[in-house]
Amino acid sequence: MNKILIENDIVVSAELSSKIKISFLEKSEDFAVNKLVVDILKDSKLEIIYHNESASKLDILIRVSSNVQAKITEIRTGNFMKIRYRYEIDTNSTLFLQKIHHIEGIRELDTIYLNGEHAKIKYLLKTISTKREKYDITVYHHAKYTESFVQSNGVNVEETLDFHVSSVVPPGMSGAYVDQKNRIVNLTDGKCNIHPNLFIDEYDVSANHSAWIGTFKEDELFYLQSRGIRKKMAIRLLVKGFLLSNLDLTNKRKEEIDNIMDQYWR
Amino acid sequence: MHILKVEHLTVEVDHKTILKDFNIEMKSGEIHAIMGPNGTGKSTLSKVLMGYPSYHILEGTITYDDTIINDLSVEKRAQLGLFLGMQMPLEIEGVTNADFLRSALSSKEGETFSLMKFIKKLDTVVEKLEMDKDMIHRGINQGFSGGERKKNEILQMYMLEPNCVILDEIDSGLDVDSLRIVGQKAMEYFIEEQPIVLLITHYQRLLEYIKPTHVHVMVDGSIVKSGTVALVKEIEEFGYDKFKKNSAHVIEEIKNHE
Repeated sequence: MNKILIENDIVVSAELSSKIKISFLEKSEDFAVNKLVVDILKDSKLEIIYHNESASKLDILIRVSSNVQAKITEIRTGNFMKIRYRYEIDTNSTLFLQKIHHIEGIRELDTIYLNGEHAKIKYLLKTISTKREKYDITVYHHAKYTESFVQSNGVNVEETLDFHVSSVVPPGMSGAYVDQKNRIVNLTDGKCNIHPNLFIDEYDVSANHSAWIGTFKEDELFYLQSRGIRKKMAIRLLVKGFLLSNLDLTNKRKEEIDNIMDQYWR
Repeated sequence: MHILKVEHLTVEVDHKTILKDFNIEMKSGEIHAIMGPNGTGKSTLSKVLMGYPSYHILEGTITYDDTIINDLSVEKRAQLGLFLGMQMPLEIEGVTNADFLRSALSSKEGETFSLMKFIKKLDTVVEKLEMDKDMIHRGINQGFSGGERKKNEILQMYMLEPNCVILDEIDSGLDVDSLRIVGQKAMEYFIEEQPIVLLITHYQRLLEYIKPTHVHVMVDGSIVKSGTVALVKEIEEFGYDKFKKNSAHVIEEIKNHE
């Protein structure tokens, strides 16, 4: 498995095959923040493990070449971070992206460009939000027959969580498929927002979106508790189901997420 | 020997009184069938026995083995040995049946819980209920047909081995084959474990498989008549109108018929 390890805003190690190239530009007079560029040239799976002890900033550009099937799993933990991602996906390529976050505050801007015909993105964001988290996710369908599926799931356990999700289909980009599913389970009195936007200027497009903020249903808890499961454990099961559904993770990563959940629901 | 006793129970749901001075006493080795028309409070009774949080007991007591359980949490009632097989089992996305059952069983057994024993038992019960083995790795009731959901309830019953089983319209939405399996397996559990069984149903067809020792007719929130299985024939012949208040014309018809 290809792996990039980032600590604070520095790439500390990268174990990569020849199918993936990276370049890392440290901040200088020209760059206000460090910048990481990842080029995926052939079918690959990549893990990005990102941990920061102190507040940090980073720009990351990920490019998927044409005719490539790529899967990226990103696990992010630690202190407040400001991060900007740009994903560029070329003709006939698919990026399956799964991001799992447990961070003390985040401001993230993700921009996805589907640049070639039949380019696809499956974007899954799962976060346990403890402080203030805000995500801006925008998908640009810049070619015909492109597909995007964005699922943002967050569990708010302390302060605030915001998802701004936009899908843009300009005129002429026919045959596009757009799907957004945004959901926040708010377990506090903190304020949560979802802003789902579809900017579609083309007739031949299939588009869906859903947004939901709430807590777990009384009936779901009753069902689990009626089998002898304590309320806290029932919530843990529901959180686990909510966060891990649709993800494709190794057992090691599942265990790590289990350990994170133990901090809140044991 | 376990005893579930309900005395003078009056229950309110959404500011409406559903159960009115309801009374019943059930012991291990007894099967009590409660029958009655729609909207009479049968499902409310099953949920209130299990401790559904938004149902309010205004008066009366629910006693299980000399302990009043009115204020006991849902999970504590389950740990005492109560089990509710639900009329409409929920679909819960992402929580696998395996995770769910393992959590339930480890809650019940604590440190004595053995994963190997759990897997072995689960395999046996899945086979017994003629269920698809893959279901265990799917979300709870996710994509299950009506029959599969009800079988899943029976599977949970076998896994948890309760000593008081409440089955709320376990026959609804079942085809003949699923009804046979669900009915026969529930009856087998009764024969093996001799629990208290409270069976809520509209129809006689389930009683071909699960043979009640007591039959009660429930109308407007309380039991209006109790008897043996012969009462089922009476219901079949005259419907529930006979048992409703202000149905003098029906009673007259029955008298004439007799």
